[in-house]
Amino acid sequence: MKKFTLKWPLIITASLLAIFIFIVPLYGAALYSFKGNGGKGHSWVNYRWLIHADGFYPSLFTSFKLAVLAVTLNLFLMVPTMVFLNLKGARYKSIVDFLCILPLIIPVVSLAIGAQVAMPKFLQNTQYELVFFFVVIALPYTYRALDTSLQTVALKTLVEASRSLGASWTRTIIRVIAPAIRSGITGALFLTFALSIGEYTITSLLHWETFPTWTVVSAQQNILGAIAVSVFSFVGAIALLSAIALFSKRGSQRIEVEE
Amino acid sequence: MGVVRAHSRVRSSGRGTSVLPLLPFFIFTGYFLIWPVIALTLRSFHGNKNEWTLANYRPILHNGPYFHAFVVSLKLSIVTSIIGSLLGAFFAFVIVKYTRGKFGAVIDSISAVFANSGGVPLAFMFIAAFGVEGIVTKLLKVFGWDLYAGHFTIFSFTGVVLVYSFFQVPLMVLVFKPAIAGLRREWEEASINLGASPLTYWRRVGIPILLPSFVGAFFLLFAGGFSAYATARALTVGTVPLVPIIIGTLVDGNVISDQTNLGDALAVGMIAVATVAMAGYIWAGRRAARWRNP
Repeated sequence: MKKFTLKWPLIITASLLAIFIFIVPLYGAALYSFKGNGGKGHSWVNYRWLIHADGFYPSLFTSFKLAVLAVTLNLFLMVPTMVFLNLKGARYKSIVDFLCILPLIIPVVSLAIGAQVAMPKFLQNTQYELVFFFVVIALPYTYRALDTSLQTVALKTLVEASRSLGASWTRTIIRVIAPAIRSGITGALFLTFALSIGEYTITSLLHWETFPTWTVVSAQQNILGAIAVSVFSFVGAIALLSAIALFSKRGSQRIEVEE
Repeated sequence: MGVVRAHSRVRSSGRGTSVLPLLPFFIFTGYFLIWPVIALTLRSFHGNKNEWTLANYRPILHNGPYFHAFVVSLKLSIVTSIIGSLLGAFFAFVIVKYTRGKFGAVIDSISAVFANSGGVPLAFMFIAAFGVEGIVTKLLKVFGWDLYAGHFTIFSFTGVVLVYSFFQVPLMVLVFKPAIAGLRREWEEASINLGASPLTYWRRVGIPILLPSFVGAFFLLFAGGFSAYATARALTVGTVPLVPIIIGTLVDGNVISDQTNLGDALAVGMIAVATVAMAGYIWAGRRAARWRNP
């Protein structure tokens, strides 16, 4: 009886708080973004401004391109590393773990200044230098995602079976391990993508133009437009990640069945 | 050819495992993570004429705008971590206790979005919601609370506190949820069998066990709030003097200092503060782990 009386007040308090802290500002911003010219009425005018604005498509394309490259580099670097670590490299685990935590410790601003000091000119002259740093700031999340899912599969058995049937290491990783840790890979993939496409600090300190930096610059010209962009990207990200959450849940269940 | 292959086989099956497969990782993190920090630190100890000096650190340690920036940054991260950790812990408790299955997974990913991809969009959304003409401002007015009666603006310290809490709370939910989920049912049953009331259970068992995780999460929030740049930059355009923002203006050349490498020293100072916070996080994590595998 006592449990019943405590349960609902807690749920209701939490829901009300969540609505006030998260939903109301989000809803308020969404409503605001539909304001018409001169703040009167409701219309699509801010969203229409968006798709005709200078730099909208180029900056979006740049962000997209850099994010795809970062995801690719990240997976090529981290999947073999994490597989080796869980298979044979147990004694290097603590150092790799430490290196992967470092991007959380080193403020991104400091990393950006360090990059300006340390990177050679030819790299600083191209926007592709950002790809490397996107991978760096995604490391803590990639490490966790891959490590968690690698620990749920019988890695040694899988590798021995595949290798004794004559598969090469590359083939083993692509055809045997990658499907088994699909949920971890999808997690790492989308986190890296989300971080890269929204990255502002390094990009703006190194003076490149991507979608987030374009948003800030264009806000000086059209604040309602910038709010529209923000609502659009926020709601998009939530929809995408919720979809993945449901999708990857199914993925990990399948692995449990296969085990 | 054969010799090479035989040699590599000996290495990989020998006493120690080869580090070779980890080489790409070590080269990558060495060059793109460690080397920038070392180069930054080295340059921060160099003066305008490239001589070795401690001069760049002097403005941080003496009373003045740069010292003040560290104070404001510390204050901001402490206040928002307190708000974030308390509210977040409450949410985490309710989520763990009363939700399950798919809904929990969706809440997880929503928290991840709110906690991580905030940045620039977050700032503009808050301008829309809490600005003079904002919906929330108007809503509060209906309830008789005029936000703008005092000195409040969304571009002030209080405004930044509000926005930061928006990503600190969900971050706390993400980090703290596993700790609450790790509380064993047997512990509660055992203490109740021994005659404890639920209140006694929480006071004597639950909270002491959760405390290290809570402290650890607090340090993580602190480090995150201290380093955050994008939100404050988009929101305040420099009206609140925070260390990362000042570094940004120095780098952009908007503020000219007579010390060329002053920004480097500020950046190293930030690393120092963040290191202390993360040391606290790791220390608390070790204490929390005691209860995980008894």
